Amino acid sequence: MSTLLTQTLCKSFGSLAVTQEVTLTFESGKRYAIIGPNGAGKTTFFNLLAGNLKPDTGHILLDGRDITSLDVTSRARIGIARSFQRNNLFAEMTVHDNITMACAIQDNVAPVFWRPMSGFAAVHDKAVGIARQVGLEDDRHTAVRHLSYGSQRQLEVALALACKPKVLLLDEPTSGMSPQETARMDHLIKALPRELTVIVIEHDMDIVLEFADQIVVLDYGRVLVQGTPAEIKNSAIVRQRYLGEEGVAVGSHSAQRPSP
Amino acid sequence: MAMTRNNLRLSIGVAVAVLALITQLSTGAFAQELFAEAAILAVFALSLDLLARSGLVSFGHAGFLGLGAYTFGGLAVLQNWPPSLAMAAALAGGIVSGLIIGCFAVRTSGAFFIMVTLAVAEMFFSWVFRSPLFNGADGMGGVPRLDMRAMGLDLNNPKNFATFCILICICVWIFAEYIIVTPFGRTLDAIRQNANRVSAVGGRVFSYRLAAFALSGAIGALSGALKAQHTNFLSPDLATWVVSGDVLIAVVIGGMGTFVGGIIGSGLLVYLKEILSSNFGHWYLFLGGIFIGVALILPRGIVGSLLDWLDRRNARNNPAPAREEEA
Repeated sequence: MSTLLTQTLCKSFGSLAVTQEVTLTFESGKRYAIIGPNGAGKTTFFNLLAGNLKPDTGHILLDGRDITSLDVTSRARIGIARSFQRNNLFAEMTVHDNITMACAIQDNVAPVFWRPMSGFAAVHDKAVGIARQVGLEDDRHTAVRHLSYGSQRQLEVALALACKPKVLLLDEPTSGMSPQETARMDHLIKALPRELTVIVIEHDMDIVLEFADQIVVLDYGRVLVQGTPAEIKNSAIVRQRYLGEEGVAVGSHSAQRPSP
Repeated sequence: MAMTRNNLRLSIGVAVAVLALITQLSTGAFAQELFAEAAILAVFALSLDLLARSGLVSFGHAGFLGLGAYTFGGLAVLQNWPPSLAMAAALAGGIVSGLIIGCFAVRTSGAFFIMVTLAVAEMFFSWVFRSPLFNGADGMGGVPRLDMRAMGLDLNNPKNFATFCILICICVWIFAEYIIVTPFGRTLDAIRQNANRVSAVGGRVFSYRLAAFALSGAIGALSGALKAQHTNFLSPDLATWVVSGDVLIAVVIGGMGTFVGGIIGSGLLVYLKEILSSNFGHWYLFLGGIFIGVALILPRGIVGSLLDWLDRRNARNNPAPAREEEA
């Protein structure tokens, strides 16, 4: 069982406080959604969790262990995996090679220089399994640059899954997707194994309300509200600040502040 | 089954190797000297290109060449080490210096990596340039060649030495081609394509690049040890930035990251230098012009452009979805 905790996490860029005293608990096996207007500090918060950024103050604990000082690589090794808001893949490789690479690194096969990659059947099998899990089994031999945008987003999730995560961070998995592609991604993330802790940043409120056990609303780097989908839907402050009058997601705040 | 990038690359490599061996045997002593020179430059180019697979382009690779040459020559001449042992020491020197320099160099990339490698190579140059140990700027003669008479091969014969150098080059090429299909080599490719993602999935980019740098250093030092044997002479000029620039030109003209491209580029460079310098005074001027022309027409180098052409042809013949293998 792995629980991820943040304690009074703060991060500023210059005078811009992007994360302010964020104290949250992500319990093992639960699904969390982080929502908030553009510039609310959602991706920065992910960067802090994954180790891409160091907090100015505060701590991050995984299963009671303080991991604040660990870098990205070390955190990926202890089970915190992330996907990126913008596709961040191995562009010259095929889908299979992308996933195999991530599996080989996680399984400590990557340093081997005396045997060809083709000899590591277990790694290849694992990669095939992950490709099936994200729905890319038919595209396994397609080069990333010939892959549709939506499939690239699926591969983005596959690389995170290849890290054998305990905690999976998905940064806007459906961003820029067509309705059909969104439906596929929705299906994919709902089918993720239940023992996995999943934290997703998402703008599509239909997905968020259906998927999440708990929703965290960030605003100006602070936790505005946290609660179940029902609580969030009925929260007056969220309605006012984020959902709009009709209760649907709108990016109306996007022009107010620049993204960090 | 359409020809893949890998198959084309390997076929060209085999063709070049066979052609070099056959042609070399049937030419005169002077041409054989050129073959030896080209093969040594090709080993050096492979060293640079293997490092380039990890996304790092060095502009101080002459440092490794110079180090290999001086380690070999210094031990063989001053300490009377048997050449075979001195050669092993040169290789070890390449690995050790690669690890030490790499510890700070591979933390940088891009222009900073170029500057750091250049600076270190120039430091080495200025040391051997002044050091009385190796006669400073005058250089040091009397460097012996490997003694292979026990195997019936007198390397002081130009034909034998050229054959020897070509064979070494072929071995290094096979080694490089083998490395890139191993998990380690594939990780270097992944780092070149997206170092941040390698970190994000738990790979220590620094360690892989450091290992690549040390490996590259060993091969660079090997080429230096061969160079010293070829000319029987140690000169500080071996470690100047011009040497780093020449090998970079050879790799870029041939096609970076293709291995065989650097080999072809090396042959071309040695050949053009020879015919231009025997006909013109300002031969570097003409050489530069030729290379600018090649770079404009074939921006990915000779072999690189050929592989791209193959990709386009395969995509035409076999539209969606394009299946392909990695180069």
